[in-house]
Amino acid sequence: MLITGIKSRPVYDQLVPMASGLRHIAVAQGSGGKPVLRLLAEMTAGQRASTTVVYSTESFTGNSYLSELQDQDDVELRVVATNSEALQALDDVLSTANMGTRLYLAGSEGFIGTAMQVASAYGLDRDEILREHAGSFVRRVWCAHCDTYTENVTTRVFRCPGCELDLVVRDHYSSRLAAFQGVKADGEVPGELPEIEELDT
Amino acid sequence: MTTAHNGTLALRVDRIEPVTPEINRYTLSAADGAWLPPFSGGSHLTLLIDTENGTRRNAYSLMSSPYDASMYQIAVRRIEDGKGGSVAMHRRISVGDVIPVTIPANLFPLSKHARHHLFIAGGVGITPIFAQLEELNLKGGSFEVHLAVRGPEHATLGRELIERYGDRVTLYGDGERGRMDIAAVLAERPLGTHVYVCGPARMIDDVVDRAHEQGWTDSHIHYEKFEDAGSTGEPFTVTLAKSGAVIEVSPEQSLLEAVEERGFKLPYLCRGGACGECETEVLELDGTLDHRDDWLSEKDRASNAIIMPCVSRATCSKLVINA
Repeated sequence: MLITGIKSRPVYDQLVPMASGLRHIAVAQGSGGKPVLRLLAEMTAGQRASTTVVYSTESFTGNSYLSELQDQDDVELRVVATNSEALQALDDVLSTANMGTRLYLAGSEGFIGTAMQVASAYGLDRDEILREHAGSFVRRVWCAHCDTYTENVTTRVFRCPGCELDLVVRDHYSSRLAAFQGVKADGEVPGELPEIEELDT
Repeated sequence: MTTAHNGTLALRVDRIEPVTPEINRYTLSAADGAWLPPFSGGSHLTLLIDTENGTRRNAYSLMSSPYDASMYQIAVRRIEDGKGGSVAMHRRISVGDVIPVTIPANLFPLSKHARHHLFIAGGVGITPIFAQLEELNLKGGSFEVHLAVRGPEHATLGRELIERYGDRVTLYGDGERGRMDIAAVLAERPLGTHVYVCGPARMIDDVVDRAHEQGWTDSHIHYEKFEDAGSTGEPFTVTLAKSGAVIEVSPEQSLLEAVEERGFKLPYLCRGGACGECETEVLELDGTLDHRDDWLSEKDRASNAIIMPCVSRATCSKLVINA
């Protein structure tokens, strides 16, 4: 098939305090709360005092670290119900942040990728950001035919909710689009679909 | 377009303009009248200058517009106690002379993703910024310039920039304003700001240190040392493994210059320890290397297995390089 090893998939980091930064922003979703708690535990009191955490309780796996995060009294916490609200909150925080800021992202691949889009728009570079993957590797897929994005795709072939074509999910990850590419699955021979296998989630 | 022969273009001096008591601006065009190779803001040329003590290769930033292929402009500050290249440019070169010049190379390009460009310069260090501003002005990028000079008679280039760009340019030391406070210039900048510094080594160090103190990462800090990084020191001997030639490096010349003087060739580009082009393998060493470049990592330096011949030296009884 058209599938090989995924060279384009981002290589993720482990969240550790970036001591050279003067201000710290951590944005997490679902299972991403766990690495953020570990990060906060490794921070000095001074770093915690200059940290803002944005946490989205939206989760594919159902894991929540909300109460543990709320127990961190000396850290500013903003809780939102959806990942898209978390991205909006990130945009708000970055719009007034200055040089010297460090960004920490944790959660699903789609969440980290879309948060990276927000960070890149503010000119943050890779040496100012750490990203830790948490939870499942469900995919965010971009439809090459109708430009629709679909979250949490777990199978090789699925029906695009935008154009209702059967799409095969390619193993190419686009950092710019923060998504895997989906293309018409029976484009060569109409009606002949590839095997509907589980993706490596 | 005019083409290079043996790595150099033949450029004719069309105009020589004194802009400060120490700096002349030279306007150059192709001796054959053709268009010049294009360049981007921040590029430099290396001029091969005839002096009483042989040929000097001096790098100068291009300060004309990258969008004008009919001429190049550079500014040369006369350094009386230097190696003689700048003095020869001031005293021996006149309008109509043809000078061999390498094609433009850029070790100081603009960041394509910056949301704001902050330029800090001292004296003749303003020259690459002239071309960078031309580029930004056409593309519509946000920028500001902070230039320190030693007195009103040294402020001509700064005043030219103020004429072009107005209050986006701040001049220090021209008699109207005091010293530049670098920490204050860098303070509370929005995300995505990039700083570019060109000037004396202590100014560059100061900007890098103040930026780090304020939490800036290296990806946002750009600098070019226009002062000759200098490779003078104790004499030493180098052996070229491929030819077996044994070459004395005198106190006044670099390893690269000594090798070239004997008629051998090494790859090079910046001749200032920045670009990495001349990186050469060390095969044998009896002594220590004196690394003076900005290219090798700490690990590479400690390995004693690589040297940058354009600036670095050695204190040794034996040095064999793979050249």
